[in-house]
Order: sequence, then structure tokens, then C-alpha cells
Amino acid sequence: MKRRSLMAWRLMVLSFLAVPTVLQAQSEEQDPAVLTVATWGGAYEDSQRRAYFEPFTEATGIEIETVHYDGGIEVLREQLESGDSEWDVIDMIQSDASAACMEGLLEPIDPDILTPAPDGTPAQEDFMEGAIHRCFITQIVFSTVIAFDDRAFPGVKPDSVEDFFNLEAFPGKRALRKSPVGLLEWALLSLSVPREQLYDLLSTRRGLDLASQRLDDIRDAIIWWTSGDEPVELLTSGEAAMATGYNGRFFHARAMEGAPISVIWDGQLIGFNSWSILRGTDQADLSEDFIAFATRAENMAAQANLISYGPARKSAQRRVGLHTDAGVPMRPYMPTAPSHMGTAVVRDHHWYSQTVDLREQWFREWLDR
Amino acid sequence: MDKGGVPQIVYQIGMVTVVAIAVGAAASLAAIGFVDAVHYLNERLLISPYARIQADDRPGLVAAATLLVPTVGGLVVGLVVHFLVREKRGLAPPDAILAAQTSSPAPGLRSSLASTLAALVSLGSGASVGQYGPLVYLGAMFGNLAGRLRLNLRHQRSIAIACGVAAAISTAFNAPIAGLVFAHEVILRHYSLRAFAPVTVAAATGYVIANVIFDRPPLFLVNFGSVEHSYEFVFFALEGVLCAGLAWGFMLLLRFSDKAARYYIAPVWARPAAAGLIVGLVALWIPEVLGIGQETLRFATIEGAFGIGELALIIVAKLALTALCVGFGFVGGVFSPALLIGILFGAFYGLVLPYIAPVPHSGLVVYAICGMMALASSVIGAPLTTILIVFELTRSYDLTIAAMVAVVFANLISYRVIGRSLFDLQLRARGFDLSLGRDKAILETYRIRAYLSDNVTTADEGETIGDVRQRLIDDHRSEAMILNGGGKLLGVVRLQGIVNSQASIPVLEKAIPAYTTFNEDTSVWQSMEMLRGFLGEAVPLVDRNGRLMGVVPEEAVIRAYLEIVHDLREEENEAA
Repeated sequence: MKRRSLMAWRLMVLSFLAVPTVLQAQSEEQDPAVLTVATWGGAYEDSQRRAYFEPFTEATGIEIETVHYDGGIEVLREQLESGDSEWDVIDMIQSDASAACMEGLLEPIDPDILTPAPDGTPAQEDFMEGAIHRCFITQIVFSTVIAFDDRAFPGVKPDSVEDFFNLEAFPGKRALRKSPVGLLEWALLSLSVPREQLYDLLSTRRGLDLASQRLDDIRDAIIWWTSGDEPVELLTSGEAAMATGYNGRFFHARAMEGAPISVIWDGQLIGFNSWSILRGTDQADLSEDFIAFATRAENMAAQANLISYGPARKSAQRRVGLHTDAGVPMRPYMPTAPSHMGTAVVRDHHWYSQTVDLREQWFREWLDR
Repeated sequence: MDKGGVPQIVYQIGMVTVVAIAVGAAASLAAIGFVDAVHYLNERLLISPYARIQADDRPGLVAAATLLVPTVGGLVVGLVVHFLVREKRGLAPPDAILAAQTSSPAPGLRSSLASTLAALVSLGSGASVGQYGPLVYLGAMFGNLAGRLRLNLRHQRSIAIACGVAAAISTAFNAPIAGLVFAHEVILRHYSLRAFAPVTVAAATGYVIANVIFDRPPLFLVNFGSVEHSYEFVFFALEGVLCAGLAWGFMLLLRFSDKAARYYIAPVWARPAAAGLIVGLVALWIPEVLGIGQETLRFATIEGAFGIGELALIIVAKLALTALCVGFGFVGGVFSPALLIGILFGAFYGLVLPYIAPVPHSGLVVYAICGMMALASSVIGAPLTTILIVFELTRSYDLTIAAMVAVVFANLISYRVIGRSLFDLQLRARGFDLSLGRDKAILETYRIRAYLSDNVTTADEGETIGDVRQRLIDDHRSEAMILNGGGKLLGVVRLQGIVNSQASIPVLEKAIPAYTTFNEDTSVWQSMEMLRGFLGEAVPLVDRNGRLMGVVPEEAVIRAYLEIVHDLREEENEAA
């Protein structure tokens, strides 16, 4: 009882404190303030617009502008070098955020800005383990999965990572992201390496060579994509028979647009997206206000009811229900649904953040071979 | 058999269960802690590939760590063993076997902990040794501690040691049945219900702690369909035979490395550092030789991961370096290196086979697993355990049956050529020979001196036949021991030989020229052997200076034998 009332009191104080800062921010600058968020476009960005950006503007009067971002940290370095970056908040993959943090590309984030769960549970306990970091706040669980064009396989349907590499039984083009992300894991998974040992084996020269050899098997069938909305287009247009991509995009295409796309959950690669703030922005406080707003349980749940990415806090997970427009139950489409977790690979973001250059080099060498 | 009725039986069963759970839990937790600590050190010291790749942009640092970590680790191991372990060597499964089999004092707690520390440093710094030996000893240490408690349980020490060992193996391999069988096959060497029940409880405790409480990942996961052609069983058997040959080569290398260490490096504490430096130098060229090699183990089951030449190179390097590390005094076992060398050899065999016998076969995995288990079982002398490990780790019936064939053929050969196991060889070097079963080994540990009798007729060297004859008649004996003034035994004279002799002849002239004597160190087993063809009534027992200490009547030797063997049979046939 005592703890709860204390929490309520703190909340009240917080809300009183928050309002003046926001007002101040507005009154100091003559033009209406604009916050620039770098994010991933497509159905994913639409869901963010409805769940976060529009409600934020409504509550504070601050406009949100988005710029397109396709991952990686090279582009952050470029932004900083250009000297007149407009970027404030970036929606980053956790391993990228971690690497960027170590390079000093990000502003620190005060964990006290995070609101407690509606039932008073402190944010530290409500968020997933490791979600609250000095430089980033992890917000969603997403998954990179293999999907296929149902029309391409009228008979037996592919259902495993191995099938992705089997051009004989399942002919057709394979669309892959042009980046050393996921390729390595799938190559070894298709050789029945257990997921527990993936990153240990990939840490050896032999493991990388083995992945190269495996990818050679499908080299001529590969179509590369870079932006997250391309895989859906490649599948629906019939250009590719199978494609890797983000589970939420595939869900959206299937459930909202009726595209003939099926997802193979085997070997899904689970990753995390995090909010972070580009170093040197003059709107750091405002950026924190936005992150505090976007990570409130009800807002996170609102996004999850638009696109099938799992919220990174428990109180939000419990609020996931039917799709806001289509009325489809969302839980079975979440990457974290129990039936999909049996063979899921949780991306080792520590390994990823430490092997950026090595993976890039491996990928270039393989492409040039 | 239990005296004291129902309360005593309830006490026995209850107390044995408590001991089994306590020892099992302690051994299991210690095993988990040990494995995690090795893992942690490997990460910190840039031994594991996972850590090395993250320092990929600093090749100088990785090279320096590769050279320095095993060398400095070796120095630490050398010093710890030299100054903290009373036995001046790493303690290992043979010590556990000895403690379980005999009542001789086991190594002390300080030595045990120091040896475990040395094993931790050895494994942590990437020496080519195994972790299961130290884990087995760690389990035995807890068993030995429990064995010291005054709980009034029969065979308390040996059962408690078996419990500790079973739990350690059960935890380390995630294989409770293998742990249970290992404790019987290697440590206890018999199967009695009295030991079986608590050891099972301990193995299950280890399993529960590893799986339910800590959720440890399975050690080894492979996918395997089935053996597709019946003729492949011939290939498995042949592979087993080849593995026995490899095990023999490994034993020779071990012996050679042991001699080389003595010959080239005088200070014992400096030997592991020298071996560490060589490991580091080789690892600059072949990184696979560092540490336990979990990644290499997995690659061996993947087609295309190795070329044939590459495999041969790694097998030879790993074999030589393991012998080097063990011989030069790194503390650690030989089981995990044997698993690794075996699986690489199996993969090699699987790759070469199509060239020798161009018929279809079921792929690399089954040959790799067969090689792994055949070599390992030859080295540790535990065919049943290794067969069960395959079954529990892979849950594949087909793989188990294939491995079973390879394992028994390997053991058939290696038993003849090498002996039952490396452990038994090491024990034999220390005078405890299990090669003819535990009866002989245990009879060897008992001294016949314990059955000494002072009911003896003695004669002085200056006495005559007449004096001695009369004394024998008075004592109702037929033998007299002739001593000099200092009590030294000069000969034996028998009544039958002097019945008709002249009374005035000096007794020494009629002494039997060849007679049997025991000394202080004569074991019960030796005394039985020496009594072959013996016709007298008692055997004189002399001290180191040849002075008579007393006699051992023939009846006492037989009594000693019967008592000890009876105890063994009772231990082996007891119910809970």
C-alpha cells in the first residue's frame, strides 16, 4: 500500500514537472518545435505514426518529422561528420545502438524518464532484462524470418531454413538483405548446427568459411534488398519465391493487404529495436520526453495492435489484443508467441556489436569471390 | 543382516539417502561452478574463439595472449602443485578409485582444493587437457568428506565417493544414467544394491540440479536419421579396432612425454610452463589445439567443415599436445581430449572410407560419433558408460547401436594391448594392480603382518640338536627358528629332520637350507602366493634387518584371505 501510494505521488510530481519543460521548450523557440526521428519506413513507420508520433504531437504540440534509416552505424558517423545533422531520435537495432554507444555516437539517456507500469511496477522491473541501457531504451522485439510466395510452391510448401537453401526441391529466386546480418546464422542453421552454438562456431574462421560455402549453393539465385519494405514487393510481384524480411511487414502484407505470403518461423532471428539519441543534438531533453512518451505501456500496446512486433515491457505485452483495424488477434503473430520460439535464434547483440568490421569484411570478400 | 531390527533399517535407509542427496548436490553444484569458471577464464583470457574474434582488430593482442596465457598458466599450475598439493601432482580419478577401493587415507582437503585450483587454471588458460577428470575428483572429494562423518553406515566412504562421482558426471554430461554406470564401472567395480540405490539418488540429484534448477543446455546435439546399410556395422567394428590402435599410440606418447619431462626439465614446477609455451606456439598456427575445443567437436560432425589433410594435421597436433600437457604436469583429464581426438578421427575415417570402400554409406555424423566413443572408452576403460553417454546425449537409438559396436571392438583390442584403462595403468604404477580384478588388488593392500603370532619356538645358534629337540617336544611344535645373539633369523629347523640325529651336533648344521619368510611389507596376496608348496606349520616374519618379529601360521594366512574376500563378497551382494 505504502509503496503504491508513493509511486502515485511520484507520478503526480513527474507530470507536473514534465508539463513546464515541454511548455518551456515551446516558448523559448519561436517556431513550433520539430523533433526529427530516424526510422524504417513502410508499415512499421505507419504504426509508429499512429501509436506514437500523432499522439505526441497532440499532447505537446511538437511536430515529428521522420527521416529514412536502414540500420547500421556508418550513417551515424556521416551525420556527425556533416556537422549540421537534423537527427534527434533514432530507432536502432540493439546491437547497432550498443556499438554506436561504444563509439560515442549517442547521447546518454536518463533511465528515470521512464514511466512506471500502470499498476505501479517500476520501469526497471517492467522492461525486459537488458532493455534499459546507458545509451538506449529497447522498445520492441522483432524478428527476421523467411517467408515464401505461396503461389510459387503449389505442392509441398517449404517449412525450414534448410529448405531455403534447397534449390532442387524448392526452386526460385531468394531475396536476402544485402548486409552481413542473418546470412551467417541461417547458413549454419541449415547445416543442423544447434542454435546454442551458432555464435561460438561463427567466431572461428572455419565457421565463416562454412557459411560462405553454404551461401555459394544459392549464390546465383539471390536477389539483394536493402529497405525493409522490398521483400514484400519482391514476393508479391513474383520476382522472388522466398525472401527474408521483418515479420511485421509480412504480417501487414498478409493480414491487411491479402498478399499470398506465408512465414516460416523455423530459425527466426529475434532482434530488438531501441530508441536512442544522436550525440550533439540540441534537442536532447525533448528527445528524452519523446522516448518517455513512446515507451509508456499503453502507447507500446497501441503499436503492437497495429503491427506484429512484441513490446519490450511486460505491462504492454499484457495489453496486446486484436488488430486495431482488421480485428485479427495479434498474439499468434508475435515473434515471441510460444509456438514460434522452439527454434528461434536470439541474436547475440554483444557479438554483433563487436564484429561489425569483421562481418563487413567477410561479406565483401564473399561478394567478390 | 542389519542388527537392531526395524529402527536400524529405517535409520540406514534414511541416512544413506540423505548422504546421497547431500553429496550429489554438492558435487553437482561444484561441477557447474567449475565449468562456468573455466568458461569465464577462457573468455577473459582470449582462449575461446568467441572472445578471440572480438579482438580480431588487434591481432597483436590475440597472438600475445595465445603465447603468454598458457605459459603463465603453466607456471601458476606448476607452483600451486609444487607448494600446495602434498602429493606433488594433480589429483585425478585414480585417486578416487583408490579411496573407494581401499581403506588407505585419501588425499587431504587442502591438497584436493589446490589440485582443483590447478585444474581450473590449466583449463582456463587453454592447456590441452580435459575437464572431466578434475570434476570426477571433485565429486570424490565431497564423497570422501561425507565418508568421514560418524554415521555408522557400512562401506560409507566408498558409497559416498561413488555418489559424488556419479553426480559430477551426471551434471557435466547431462547424463544421469551414464553417471550412475560410470561410478560402478570405474570407481566401485561391482554392482550391489546397497551402493546402487544411493548412487542412483545422487545421479538423479545431479540431473535435477543441472536441468531443472539451472537449465543447463545439452552438451551435444546432433541430428541423425538412421544407419542405412547393414554392412556399415563392419565399418564401425573396423573403426573401433583403429581407435584402439590410436589409444595405444596415445598411451605411448603419454609415457614418452612423461620421460621427456624428467629428462629435459629438472625443476618439476617449471614443466607445465614449458608445455604451455609449446601449446601457444602451435596454437598460433593451429588455433584448434587450444582448450577443450567445443567448436572443433561440433565442426567434426558437419560435412565440408574440414579437408582430409587438415583433419589429419589437427588429430596429430591435438594428440601430441595432450600427451605433452599431461606428461609435463598440467592438471586435467584425458577424457575430453580423447572425445575430441576421437571425433576428429571418426570424421577422418568417414571422409577416407569412400575412397577405400566405394559403397554408399550413411554420412559423416555416425562415423564421427563412433570414433569419439571408441577412443574415449579405450582410454578410460568404461565401455558401458560411453555407450550410455551416446544414448543420453543424442537420444538416438541408431547412433547408440552403431557406437556400441565400435566401442566393444575398441575395448576388446585395447584391453589386450594396453590394459583396462589409463587409470588402471596409473594405479599399477603406484602398486595397486586391478588388472586381475579387485580381489587381488585389495588383497595386495593388506599386510600379513597384522596376523603375526608370537607363539614361536626359538633356538640360539650355539645350541645343540638335543636342547632344541627337547624344547620342541615341550612346546608341542615341530619347527624352531634359529637366531643369533642379535635376534636375527639364521635358519629353520624341523623336528622331522632331527628326530634321529645325534644330540651333540650344533643345531645350525641341521637347518633347512631353503625356507619361506615374510617381511613387514608382505601383502596378504603375496603371502598366499608364497605359500604354494609350503610344508611347514608357520612362516617366520622378519623386519628390515632380518630380525625375527614372529611367525604367521599357515592357518592365519588362510584366515586373512577368507576374511577379506568375505568382506568384498558381502559388499558386492548387499541389499540396501
